[in-house]
Amino acid sequence: MGKPDKEAMKALRKQRKAYIDRAQQEMKKQRKLIKAIKEQIKDEPKTVPRIASEAKLQADQVLLYVAALRKYGQVVEVDKDGDYFTYKLDAEA
Amino acid sequence: MSTNQEKKATGEQKKVGIYICHCGGNISDHVDVEKLAENVKDLDGVAVVHTNTFMCSDPGQELIQNDIRDGKVNRVVVASCAPSLHELTFRGAIKRAGMNPYLYEHANIREQVSWVHHGDQATEKATGLVAGAVAKALRLQPLEPIRVEARRHATVIGAGVAGLRAACDLACRGLEVALIEKSPFIGGRTASLGRLVPTGEQAEEVITQIAAKAMANDKVTIYSCTEVVGFEGFVGNFRLTLKRKPPEEPYSAAEPQKIRMDHLEKGEFLPAAGIFPGDVPDKEQEIFLETGAIVMATGFRSYVPGEGEYGYLHSDKVITLAELVELIARYPDRRGRFLQVKGKPVRRMAFIHCVGSRQIPGIHEPDQDGRLNEYCSRTCCAATLQAAVQIRSSFPETQIFDFYRDIRTYGRGQEEVYREASRQRVTFFRFEPEDPPRVQKSSGGKFPLLVSVKDTLTFGEQIDVPVDLVVLATGMEPTPIKELVEMMKLPVGADGFLQEVHPKLRPVEVANTGILLAGTCQAPMDVGEACNAAQAAAAKTTAMLARGYVELDPFVARVDPERCKGTGLCREACPIEGAIELKERQVDGKTVVQAQITPALCTGCGICVAVCPSRALDINGWTLEQYEAMVDAIVAA
Amino acid sequence: MKETLRLQYDALVIGGGIAGLQSALDLADQDFKVAVIEKDATIGGKMIRLSKVFPTLDCASCITTPKMAAAAHHDNIDLFTYCEVNSLDRSQGRLKASITQKPRYVDPDKCIGCRQCEYQCPVYVPDQEQGGFNLRKAVYIPFSNAIPQLALIDVEHCALCGKCAKVCPTEAIDYFQQPEDFVIEAKTAVLATGFKLTPMDQKKEYGQGQIPNVISSLQMERLLAPHGPYQRVIRPSDGKEPDSIAYVQCAGSRDLSLGISYCSRVCCMYAIKQAMLLSGALPLADITIYYMDIRAFGKGYEQFFQNAKAMGIEFVKAKVGRIEQGENHNVLLRIEEQEGDGRVVRREHDLVVLSLGMVPDWNPAGICPVGTGDDAFIKCVRPKLAPTLTEMEGVFVAGVAAGPKDIVDTIAEAGAAAMEASNYLNSSASGRAA
Ligand SMILES: Cc1cc2nc3c(=O)[nH]c(=O)nc-3n(C[C@H](O)[C@H](O)[C@H](O)COP(=O)(O)OP(=O)(O)OC[C@H]3O[C@@H](n4cnc5c(N)ncnc54)[C@H](O)[C@@H]3O)c2cc1C
Ligand SMILES: Cc1cc2nc3c(=O)[nH]c(=O)nc-3n(C[C@H](O)[C@H](O)[C@H](O)COP(=O)(O)OP(=O)(O)OC[C@H]3O[C@@H](n4cnc5c(N)ncnc54)[C@H](O)[C@@H]3O)c2cc1C
Ligand code: SF4
Ligand code: SF4
Repeated sequence: MGKPDKEAMKALRKQRKAYIDRAQQEMKKQRKLIKAIKEQIKDEPKTVPRIASEAKLQADQVLLYVAALRKYGQVVEVDKDGDYFTYKLDAEA
Repeated sequence: MSTNQEKKATGEQKKVGIYICHCGGNISDHVDVEKLAENVKDLDGVAVVHTNTFMCSDPGQELIQNDIRDGKVNRVVVASCAPSLHELTFRGAIKRAGMNPYLYEHANIREQVSWVHHGDQATEKATGLVAGAVAKALRLQPLEPIRVEARRHATVIGAGVAGLRAACDLACRGLEVALIEKSPFIGGRTASLGRLVPTGEQAEEVITQIAAKAMANDKVTIYSCTEVVGFEGFVGNFRLTLKRKPPEEPYSAAEPQKIRMDHLEKGEFLPAAGIFPGDVPDKEQEIFLETGAIVMATGFRSYVPGEGEYGYLHSDKVITLAELVELIARYPDRRGRFLQVKGKPVRRMAFIHCVGSRQIPGIHEPDQDGRLNEYCSRTCCAATLQAAVQIRSSFPETQIFDFYRDIRTYGRGQEEVYREASRQRVTFFRFEPEDPPRVQKSSGGKFPLLVSVKDTLTFGEQIDVPVDLVVLATGMEPTPIKELVEMMKLPVGADGFLQEVHPKLRPVEVANTGILLAGTCQAPMDVGEACNAAQAAAAKTTAMLARGYVELDPFVARVDPERCKGTGLCREACPIEGAIELKERQVDGKTVVQAQITPALCTGCGICVAVCPSRALDINGWTLEQYEAMVDAIVAA
Repeated sequence: MKETLRLQYDALVIGGGIAGLQSALDLADQDFKVAVIEKDATIGGKMIRLSKVFPTLDCASCITTPKMAAAAHHDNIDLFTYCEVNSLDRSQGRLKASITQKPRYVDPDKCIGCRQCEYQCPVYVPDQEQGGFNLRKAVYIPFSNAIPQLALIDVEHCALCGKCAKVCPTEAIDYFQQPEDFVIEAKTAVLATGFKLTPMDQKKEYGQGQIPNVISSLQMERLLAPHGPYQRVIRPSDGKEPDSIAYVQCAGSRDLSLGISYCSRVCCMYAIKQAMLLSGALPLADITIYYMDIRAFGKGYEQFFQNAKAMGIEFVKAKVGRIEQGENHNVLLRIEEQEGDGRVVRREHDLVVLSLGMVPDWNPAGICPVGTGDDAFIKCVRPKLAPTLTEMEGVFVAGVAAGPKDIVDTIAEAGAAAMEASNYLNSSASGRAA
């Protein structure tokens, strides 16, 4: 696709408004969540339950985003603490 | 010879590409793949090193192809799983990129490294293997596959339902088919069955249909009363010797008198024997056959319990499922209050599952040949319950007790039969292999036999069931075909059945090219499954023979005419008849005798190479020079 | 209006799982021209999504990728992924399939699979390819060994921010792509539409999919797979490495209350397989399998089962009556033991896997005149002698589309369907496609 035609894009945005609105709302929530998680583990590796309780988030949500951040190269797994693994922001990323 | 000299000799610089596979963790969990890449990147002749999670995936293969197309590499080394799995995959990829597929070497760093070594040692060994492969790759020559003409003719051994199915399909696709059956009848073991589980179709009708189709097809030649006694040749060009002889054995276990065949008409069905395919030889004859491929369909035999196993042979009231099924099959329409067996009414009867199947070392005794059947025979559970349901519906006063380990009604429609058996008030008891039911003669009492068991369905309660009849759900064993196995060098698995190359990659082929498997000679199957397997084998056979030629790997012996002195030691050593011959040749006006190879017969075993005193022999793709270079490289790494 | 594209083939295969691929390869190797239609964005079916496969414990990718690649590169095979079959009918001796190519919003001729778009895209979406345990983006490539390696946009989650179009080095993103209809004409067809798992949310007694650490067997496959969501086995509620894992067999099979009376045939074996893999991954964990009957009937399967027992995996013959949320994210099982003294007992586990059964992924009703059985799988009209025949002339069936089966049986059946299809091609008078 070359430079998308402005008018056509506008029409498309209108047509997909419902999807786009929802996606934008999702994005907002996601950004907040990710920020909160990253904040928790920027200096020190932590387990999922610890991130969750300190950031007041749900543990399963934390795990989900930690997994995604790992996949896209922003978080690394560090050591094990009891039955749980700890995660840290990747210094290089 | 150093690589520099070689470069001069061929005028082309050799550039090896090394492609190391993580195998999604299978390798990289134990071998440090990045370190391995580092270790080998500076080896002589190495142009590029790549790693990938799955080298065999499309992106992985493309990596290799792009390097070839860009002229970065002209020799390929893949370090991954066993070559048996993916050598062909990578050769194919290389070929599609326009390079000779034999300029390729495989280093097995999974089965030979990551699955058996850990830590630094693993990486070290992998480095050695890859270094060896590189050394060899530098010395590889382009090769061409051996193309041999293939007869558009296939032979099927065994005319049970699987053999018949395969024969019909092969003929339909235009191949001439020889169908060889040792008995005077076709149809195999299915002829002894009655209503087939789970469809309720009559076995007689099923095999009569397929047999009629085979008999009507003029491309199918049926050789009944025939066995294969001679085998030679190779894929596309097998030569078989058949022996046809007058029948001598009885054909029915239930009525063991000799069947008189002079009254039978072609196509007639005889219970427990099969369909009469026409003539019977009155004297022995030998037949020679040339054929392109062989489909094994020699089927199974029922397990015969040992003397005293659950009272077998100690009481004539203990019979096998095969005997019971044959009995019911003979009188499909009979009804009454009680089932009658051997002239006596059966008021209560017991089935015992897994007799001769699912045997466990240490619990069960091997038979006199040392066989222990550890496998499940797959068909007996459903067949048992089918018989139970049939008896309960036709003889409502015969009570049935079923002793099982697990009920394995896995197939489509089979669970319904199990449910129906419960509905018809068959009583189930479950036992552990350590505590099997015991069958004893009753002392006095109304019933001749007593079956006792520790029933795990009622929490280990000891239960005694007096009965008139005990039926042993005997499993399947492969038909004994020792002669064929030895003659054709067929691979046999630990369970005694013929062994496929790989259950998922090449499920109907054996390692010997041109020989395929159909039906229960491979593993227990029911009729539908045997037909599926037979059709799959027929599809493979057709694909192989349809073009009129087959291509074989070129890894065979070759003779260096400069060195061969015609000692003939190689011919004496060669295990394969005709693979190596001494032939006269004209050299500078003189006649010399030298070795000559028939590539299609040579298996590339290398025995001749070892005995040649003048190093005139080598195996293509596995030369002595290549081996030496590999050993040096492994030691140096 | 543009004229509808019409393509001619000898054979049409619907479904690009292992059954469809094997049928296609067996036909193509006999020099027939084959089209494979797959509704997903990648071929490979369930098998490519598994970890390792019984009974050989080969990694699933190692067996599937080469078959996928072989089909993708075969001169006689064309793959049509992300396509919907609208109808399949027969007229004048030919089959006609009307098909819709769903829009990827990515130009397949331009995309080089570099995933730059995926990295740039700002929207995260639960990744069903990872059992929902990880996230992907709104533009994504299904997984690392998907074929084809083409990105696609999930418009329902796309914010239309334009980032992917900006970053794509080949200008492959096309937000305006439309569905395209085309027609494939062939003489014969193989239906290989496979299965999906029985839904998690049906059984009230098992928590209807609402208990966090009660997962499906396919989700466990992902936890065990080399490229799983966590790259190790931890439980989804909080990342704990489980000490005690239980399998509930026949969850969704042999259960008249769900209307699924049949045995799904693979769940015993995959549970045993997963249990073995788990005891390799977590050597200290206790693994329990609650079962009614262990159905290890295939070649080498009983031996596999006995090995698992010898490895210390606990097999308990019991019916699981109820599954409940316990404390600390644990799961409580109420079981009626069938052995022992038969009391109802409670057992607590860190993680529970439902060995779900199989239901058909496709219902031919309204699309083509092929009947189904009581079990809703495609009806086989001659199950003994020609198990792949359907009610429609020249149309055959293979794999789980014709009832639950494992990979070995699926591959054999796929070969059989190819044989029937080639016989049909051979016998029908009008010759081959040009
Ligand atoms: C008790 C019992 C009940 C069963 N009930 C059912 C049922 O209800 N439904 C169902 O679907 N299945 C049932 N089965 C399974 C069914 O019998 C098999 O699936 C079927 O017979 C397999 O066919 P086959 O062609 O593989 O082997 P076979 O039927 O064994 O045929 C093999 C043929 O090869 C011939 N042969 C062997 N060796 C040689 C040789 N060296 N040279 C030439 N010929 C040779 C034999 O004579 C025979 O004709 C049952 C099996 C048993 C034991
Ligand atoms: C948890 C689990 C573990 C398993 N483990 C093993 C194991 O270890 N070993 C083993 O042997 N077996 C295993 N199995 C069984 C195995 O998954 C199946 O045998 C196999 O996947 C069947 O292949 P198939 O091609 O018939 O179906 P599928 O894999 O379901 O493929 C069908 C394909 O058709 C496509 N499709 C469906 N409808 C349409 C349509 N209308 N148009 C176009 N395309 C369509 C689907 O998208 C899919 O790609 C396991 C199963 C499960 C659930
Ligand atoms: S099919 Fe049933 S009776 Fe036969 S061996 Fe298997 S479990 Fe035992
Ligand atoms: S669309 Fe462009 S950016 Fe996205 S994967 Fe394809 S080539 Fe890469």
